[in-house]
Amino acid sequence: MFTAQNLISIGIAALLTAGLYAAMSYGLALIYGVMKVINLSNAGFLMLGAFMTLVYSDAWHLDPMLGAVVNLPVFFLAGWLLYTLLVRRVMAALPIASLLLLFAVWLVLQNVALLIWGSDDHSIITAYTYKAVEILGFRVPLTRLLVFAFALGALGVLHVVLGRTYLGKALRATVQDPQAAVLAGIDTERISALAFGLGTALAAFAGGLLTLLFSFTPAFGTDLQLKSFTIIVLGGLESFTGVMVGAAIVSFAESYAVLFMRASLQNVLSYALLVVALVVMPGGVAQLWTRHRS
Amino acid sequence: MTVDRVRRVLASRPGLLMAPALVIALALVPALRPGDITLLNLGFFTLLYVAQGVSWNILGGFAGYVSFGYAAFYGLGAYTTALLWIAGWHPVLTYPVAGLVAAAFSLVVGVPTLRLSGPYFSIATIGVGEAMRILMLNLDRITGGASGLNLPTAVPSKAWFYEAALVFAAVAFAAAAWVRGSRFGLGLSALRLDQEAAESLGVRTALFKNLAHVLSAFLVGACGGLFATYFQYVHPDTDFSFTESISLVLICLIGGLGTLWGPVVGAVIFFAVQNYLQTSYPNLYLLVYGVLLILVLLFEPRGLAGLAARLRGRGSAAPRLPAPAGAPPDGAEGAE
Repeated sequence: MFTAQNLISIGIAALLTAGLYAAMSYGLALIYGVMKVINLSNAGFLMLGAFMTLVYSDAWHLDPMLGAVVNLPVFFLAGWLLYTLLVRRVMAALPIASLLLLFAVWLVLQNVALLIWGSDDHSIITAYTYKAVEILGFRVPLTRLLVFAFALGALGVLHVVLGRTYLGKALRATVQDPQAAVLAGIDTERISALAFGLGTALAAFAGGLLTLLFSFTPAFGTDLQLKSFTIIVLGGLESFTGVMVGAAIVSFAESYAVLFMRASLQNVLSYALLVVALVVMPGGVAQLWTRHRS
Repeated sequence: MTVDRVRRVLASRPGLLMAPALVIALALVPALRPGDITLLNLGFFTLLYVAQGVSWNILGGFAGYVSFGYAAFYGLGAYTTALLWIAGWHPVLTYPVAGLVAAAFSLVVGVPTLRLSGPYFSIATIGVGEAMRILMLNLDRITGGASGLNLPTAVPSKAWFYEAALVFAAVAFAAAAWVRGSRFGLGLSALRLDQEAAESLGVRTALFKNLAHVLSAFLVGACGGLFATYFQYVHPDTDFSFTESISLVLICLIGGLGTLWGPVVGAVIFFAVQNYLQTSYPNLYLLVYGVLLILVLLFEPRGLAGLAARLRGRGSAAPRLPAPAGAPPDGAEGAE
């Protein structure tokens, strides 16, 4: 069980999963960063993204990876509308109001999906679903490799766009200091809508990629939602690098935990990690580092 | 307490007289319709939801700490009763123990997590609730795991269960009414609006939050115990389900967060909607409730209780969720 061979192959699987985890969590961090709102509807859009990919696949034989890409503009619009029509209206209230509103949106999405698709397991099988490639003597499922590459690719493009364009700079300025951003003439309302659109699009994109790896139901997503929270809390809530680090910690922790505990207890580990992270290090892993140095 | 004081309290809150009258009227139902099992069953579930909603509201409404994890207390209560019942205890004796186990667990959860600010507390409770469900599924030696536990079949009549649920609801309501009128309740209300300000005025916020948590967990745990005897079967997925947790949140938000009667109204409507839709569309009630919740948050943050007050033309009480009217939109941010 503890052979080097085994440990390395678990490590590869964990690394590949971490890419997907980063993609599904970055939207949360983006939205939190800009408007300090915890987006509980993230899992709903993840699930809906998976089902839309199924719809494209059934209707036009669209490959799930392309489906995930099609999700980007569709769900960007959905997120934009969600912010403009609903979330914006409760921003003046106590923070718990936006959390509850987005929780209600999640509930609505989940139950609408139940009405449309029923509670059965769905999955998408492609020509390459069961193929594997050999890397350094380890057999790696092709789907996992592709999902990893697509997830990191999307995050990379987004990172560059946010770093180079005016809107991206305005967005990062709003994350750093909303009041100063307003003073500098940035339309923070528009930036918030943009962030919500991007966050939602990323969730649906990740949902589309997930269809390559897992079967899904309308109820699917609760556990991933909690994992996303663990990841962004570990990552310090709003930084890009933080999300990467958080995703790696969660993915590696749960992969190697299988060596010590029942696989069905895997999720308990990440939930425990969530509570511990929230209580002990609200500033994320980076906080431990800075505290250690000072 | 002098007669004079009682009179003054009643004069200031006429609603309090309504509660005992309602309890007496409801207690007569089994005597008037003894053979109506359907009615007694509906009554049992509605009252059980009333009891839980009212209890949840003590922390979630009065203190503003919205927990998505009460299924953990409900489930622990159900399993405590189940295991003691199997061991030969009389079911009624197990209810207080079920409550105590849930209350003890609420301390374990609450002491670290209630230090977090509201939204983070909410997220943490989802984690705790789901973690408990999975743990219970895996502790199959004790809990029966995925096959659940069958409980003794000798149970009291439906009328007995109805009356028991009524007692639970009445006790929970009395507890909530007492909290609301006491210094403790004022403290909770103060810390909901501004934790730091409350602390600077000498409110022991950590203690108060945990007391509210323990009290409501005790009541919900006892409800779980009552449900276990009624259902004669316990299963981690039923008793620790996330749906159970969010039911309580929905009942209170739709009825009116932080109001005394809100959860009562909310529970009645919740169960009516669920019962009406369950046969044809088992999950549609959650959709209806999600839409209702969105409407409530956008238009009437005080819930149906607030709407009723508005219709009666007495919408004078301060809104519960949003910042006070006239406050700058970024008032909440400034307080951080």
